[in-house]
Order: sequence, then structure tokens, then C-alpha cells
Amino acid sequence: MPGGRRCPDCSSAALVEDSHYSQSQLVCSDCGCVVTEGFLTTTFADEGNLREVAYTRSTGENEQVSRSQQRGLRRVRDLCRVLQLPSTFEDTAVAYYQKAYRHPGIRAARLQKKEVLVGCCVLITCRQHNWPLTMGTLCTMIYADLDVFSGAYMQIVKLLGLDVPSLCLAELVKTYCSSFKLFQPTPCMPAKFVEDKERMLSRTLQLVELANDTWLVTGRHPLPVITAAAFLAWQSLHPSGRLACSLARFCQVANVDLPYPASARLQEMLAVLLRMAEQLVWLRILKLNKRSVVKHIEDLLQHRHTLIHKAFLDGTGEREAQARGLQPRMEEEVGGSSLGLPLGKRPAGPGILLPPCMLKPPKQPRLPPTVRTVTGDEDISDSEIEQYLRSPEEVEDFQRAQAAGLATKDAPNQP
Amino acid sequence: MEDTYLELYLDRCTAQDELPPPKSPLISLVGSYDVYLPNPSNPEMAFSSHLDVRESSGDFSSVDLSFLPDELSQENEGETVIGSVDKIDKTCKTPSPQRRSPSPMQQDVGLDLNGSGVPHSQAPLYLDNADSVQPSPEEPTSDPLASITPMKPMTPASECSGIVPQLQNIVSTVNLACKLDLKKIALLAKNAEYNPKRFAAVIMRIREPRTTALIFSSGKMVCTGAKSEEQSRLAARKYARVVQKLGFPARFLDFKIQNMVGSCDVRFPIRLEGLVLTHHQFSSYEPELFPGLIYRMVKPRIVLLIFVSGKVVLTGAKERSEIYEAFENIYPILKGFKKAAVSHSASHRI
Repeated sequence: MPGGRRCPDCSSAALVEDSHYSQSQLVCSDCGCVVTEGFLTTTFADEGNLREVAYTRSTGENEQVSRSQQRGLRRVRDLCRVLQLPSTFEDTAVAYYQKAYRHPGIRAARLQKKEVLVGCCVLITCRQHNWPLTMGTLCTMIYADLDVFSGAYMQIVKLLGLDVPSLCLAELVKTYCSSFKLFQPTPCMPAKFVEDKERMLSRTLQLVELANDTWLVTGRHPLPVITAAAFLAWQSLHPSGRLACSLARFCQVANVDLPYPASARLQEMLAVLLRMAEQLVWLRILKLNKRSVVKHIEDLLQHRHTLIHKAFLDGTGEREAQARGLQPRMEEEVGGSSLGLPLGKRPAGPGILLPPCMLKPPKQPRLPPTVRTVTGDEDISDSEIEQYLRSPEEVEDFQRAQAAGLATKDAPNQP
Repeated sequence: MEDTYLELYLDRCTAQDELPPPKSPLISLVGSYDVYLPNPSNPEMAFSSHLDVRESSGDFSSVDLSFLPDELSQENEGETVIGSVDKIDKTCKTPSPQRRSPSPMQQDVGLDLNGSGVPHSQAPLYLDNADSVQPSPEEPTSDPLASITPMKPMTPASECSGIVPQLQNIVSTVNLACKLDLKKIALLAKNAEYNPKRFAAVIMRIREPRTTALIFSSGKMVCTGAKSEEQSRLAARKYARVVQKLGFPARFLDFKIQNMVGSCDVRFPIRLEGLVLTHHQFSSYEPELFPGLIYRMVKPRIVLLIFVSGKVVLTGAKERSEIYEAFENIYPILKGFKKAAVSHSASHRI
């Protein structure tokens, strides 16, 4: 019972704190007059200083599910169903969305972000179950920009403190390759293009592993690598009928989008295969080039581990190569073997196994930076500062030019 | 040989625990450029390069900034040098901010080695005599140097990288403490651009040091683009002087470095997928979004962008020593992924 207050009607001191629904009230138990609502004050002066807890700062918001949250949860479930995810995924994704919604930053975010958040929750769920869903696919499904998506994704991962595993490449290969329309004969496709799914899958997987080992996958978007690998696998399974087919045509026939970097990845993989082919005696004689090496991919894949060891120096060998002057030597190595030039009876010296970005020559020569001894407290000469100031004549000229510019801008608007 | 080195190293650590930090001159590696320090295992290389650099040292004396009381430093507020040197006293594993001249790559551990009982000739580690604080070129036992990080027994010196991150960008703020008329500034200054519809500040640039400043009407200013703390401070002072000359009573209050960005190259490729597996609590690697791995180091609080080519970008530092410390922390981790052998990667799930 708060001290010092009396009912204004009956002046009784029997004031009781009672709640009308969830609103706290101070009621006189004698006459039933409501003295105050929502305040518990001791003196009149205090009343001015006390403030109720605003709804947005109370926990009331968390207990109720707002309409936009309901909409978001519905969209999460719909997205899971469209992607034909197992039902357990749905519950996990919904739980993530609810968890995210508890944070004030998300609750007050724009609708666009909330839409994207739906996709983020589904993606995190898929990643945790090793379900190969790429961000590109997800963004097309929720009609979102990849940059907006990436921002929201990074934020939500940090906010929820989650440890999201990386995309499982093996699963992605299986799912992506299964989506190729090459396994059933269709009238618009030559008969030689049809391929057995299992053979193509296993060979694509081996090629992707090879790319992973030779630094072609790290730091790059995974999908173009898989497209290039699938193309090579498909070509090598029946070279005579398929060598003439280009990568673009292959994607068209398979009813799959051609990702832009896929051709670059294809060239890189062919270069690696040619390098490996140099180590096999019977292939060295053949003087393979980028087209003919496809016929021998099966052999190369069979012995890929030993060939990579022989064809490339590993990490320890790298250091000697570096000390001896890396760039010019490597360039001739890469240039020589990829062009298939005969380099005498002996195989080309082992090249360096490095990511392609390290094999390219630097665009600008690396100049040693000039060391300037600056204390930060040097005197600043007046002349140096004055070079940045306009003289009065220049100011007038500038003002005149500005006025003239404005006039010409307004002129076409005049009737 | 390894044992005597280890003994010496541990002796030093225990000795250092007893000595109060300010007493020991702890100027270690110098040079704000990406320098590849010679490996201790190549003594001749180290020796010759050491001598080369030494000739240019001139009158440089191992300035022991830790001795300077704070009042003697020019301006306490902006002077991050002293602050970072104090930090170095404590951590003692980062190169000191000795930026005044390309000094010799000196590692002066600053302990009395006479009592250590390790003959110079035997130890693979070549140390300067602690008594001679001056790195005079005529020093007879001018041994090739090696890097030592005595304060942190967990990282033996053989793992010290010898690579120094180079600062690329410094962002600083200063308060000019007077209301500014941005239209007037844009009119009277040649190097200013002002487009109120696009951004509510004047963008001003000066040529030396090459920097850009955002000047707001409240009098606050942001200066970006400098390559060192002193350059940032000098540039900020020049901008303040320009504003003064334009007729405003500008002052120079609360100069503070807000962010420092550094970069370097470890010169070997890095298996980012492996790194994200072993350091998943700190790393974020999404090749679909960004080719680099984002490593959020807890101590010091620095964000590192690590790329497959071995280039590392460090950002989020308020002091130079944080960048050096962060790099020294990440280098052993990265070296663990250097052996990108096929057998190693074949065991990874792809």
C-alpha cells in the first residue's frame, strides 16, 4: 500500500493496487474510485518523473505474434514446401525465424529485409542438414538481390551466433547433375548425347575432386566448376560424338543455365589435365591439345593422385622455386605445357601447384613504397594552403559560371 | 643447438618477468613496409642484408620511446606512437612503431646477455649485445639478426613470420569546434566539392599527404587515405588550416584514429576450406558471396580477410600494434595450411 495517498472522493486511505486486465491501477477499496492508472507513485512530484515502460520495450512484443511475423512464418513454410524439403526442415527454419524475430533489429527492419530473412532461415537449415541449396537458386526463388541477401545472411548468422557449415560439394554435384536433361532421349537432341546418369555423376564427381585438389575451387563460386566438370565428363564418356559440341550448346541441350565463369573454369581444368597428361608416357607421345586430351580423361582420372604428385611440386618444393625466381619460370612452364609444345624427350619440369590467381603475372609492378618520415607536427606553410584557395577573381568567375549554368538549365523550362 | 637456443629463450623470459618493463629497451622490428625478413636458417643472407640496411641507419639511435614521459610527446591526444609503444612493452611481440627512418632490422631484446652463458658462435640465433644500445655500424659483433618474441613463450621465435603488414589506409576524426558554412567553403576552396542533395558534407582533397576529408557543418571532420598515423594527423591539420584561412575559427580538438587498414602477403596459397573447418568459431567463408575468408580475431579485435593467394587484409585496428599482433597471431595458423598436399585435401569432404 503506497503511503501518503488518499482517495480524492472519500478521502480514505484504503487504496488497493489492482490490475484491470494487465493495466495496473490504484483503486480505493471503499468507494471504488480509480486513483491512478499505471503508476505507482509516492508523491505527486514523483509522478512527473516516472514513465511507463513503452510497449516496444516490454516483453509483450515477444509474447504476441505480430501479423508480419505470421506472414513471414507462412512464407518460410511455403518456401520449404516449394523446395520439397523434408518436414523436419520446416520446423527448424520456422524456429530460426522466430528466434531472429525476437531481436529488435530484425523486428524493426524493412519489409524487404524480412522477406530476405525467410530465405536466410531456409538456407541455414539446409546447410546444417547438408542439403545442397545454393544462394543463387534461393535468391531467384524469393526474388531477392544477391547483395541484399548476403547482407541479411551475414547479419543473421552473427546475430544468432550460428555456426553454419559450408556447402557440401559432393551433394551439390549430385543434385545439380541430376537436373540435367541428358538422361532420357528427346526428339530435339541427337541420339549420341544421351548419357547414363550414374556414369556421368561419378565422373563429374572425380573431376570436381581433381579441381579441388588443384586449387580451382577455393575462393570460387562452386557451381561453374561443376558445370565445367559435368561438361568434360559428358564429353569424355563418348568423345567421338560429343567433341564438336560446345559448352554453351551442352547447357542448352541439358536445359541448364550456363554460368558465366564456367568457360574460364573449363580452360583451367583442361590446362591441369594437359599438365597431368605430360606425365604419362603414352600420352606424351601423342602431343595432346585441349581437344584431344578429352579422349583420355578416363585414364588421367584413374591415376590422378600419382599424376598430380608428379606433375606438380607440392608445398615444400614451392619454396625453392620461389627462391629461384618464380614468375618467369612458371610462365614458360604453364605456357609450354598448355600449348602442348614438345619439350624434348624428357617431360616438362614440374610446374607449381598454385591457385590461378597466383600464377598470373602481377598487373602492376610492385614498387617498394617510399618511406616518408613524417612527424605529424611539421609546419604547414601558408603558400601550401593558399594553393587550395580561390582568389577573389576566381571566385567571381566561378559564381558567374554557376549562375550561367543555372540559367541555361532553366531556359528550356521557360515557355 | 636447439636446446641451448631454447634455454636462452626461456632464460630471457624468466628474466624479463622480473625486470620492470620500462627499463628494457624493446625496440624490435622496424619498417612499415612489407619486408621479408631473412630466415634465421640462412645466416649469410641475413648477414648481408643486415649490413646493407645498417649503412643507411645514419645517426639513428635506438630511440627508446618507452623512456619518454608523456608530457614530452608533442600532443597527447593525437600521439598514438607513445600509446602503441606502451602496448609493445606489454606484449613485446610486435614490431615497434619506429617509422622515422628505415632503420636496420634490429632486434634488441634488451637483456643482459653476458650472464646467459650462451656463446654467440654456437647459437643459431644471433643477438645483439644488450649493453650497446646504439646500433653503431662499427660494432664488431654485428651479428645477423633474428627475430625474437620473448614475451610470449607460446610462439617460439622460429615461427615469427618476418613479414610486416603495410598500412594502407588510416581513418581519423577531428573536431574543428565551430559551425561551418559549407556553401562558402565550396565556393572559396578549389579542392572542395559539395553536393547537398547527395551528401551533407564537403568533400575536400589535398595532394600532400594524398588524403580526402569529409567536413560537416557541425565542425566535425573525417580524414581518410593516409598511410600512417602521422600523415593522417598532418593531413587533418592541413584541412583545419584551410578552413581557418577561409575565415572560420577552426581549432584542432580530439584528433583520434578510428580505423587502420593493413595488408600483407604470406606468399603461399591457403586452403580456405580447411581453415574454416578448424577455426569455425572465428571464420566465415562463403565462396558464393566473397572469395575471401573473413576471420574475426578476438584478441586483438581485428577482422582479417584471408585470400587463397596468401594475401591478408587486416582492418579494424585503432593502433598499429594491433595489426602487427593480429598478423603474428594468424601467421602460424596459416602456415598450418601451407602444406596443400593432395593427400591433405583428399581427406576433406568436398
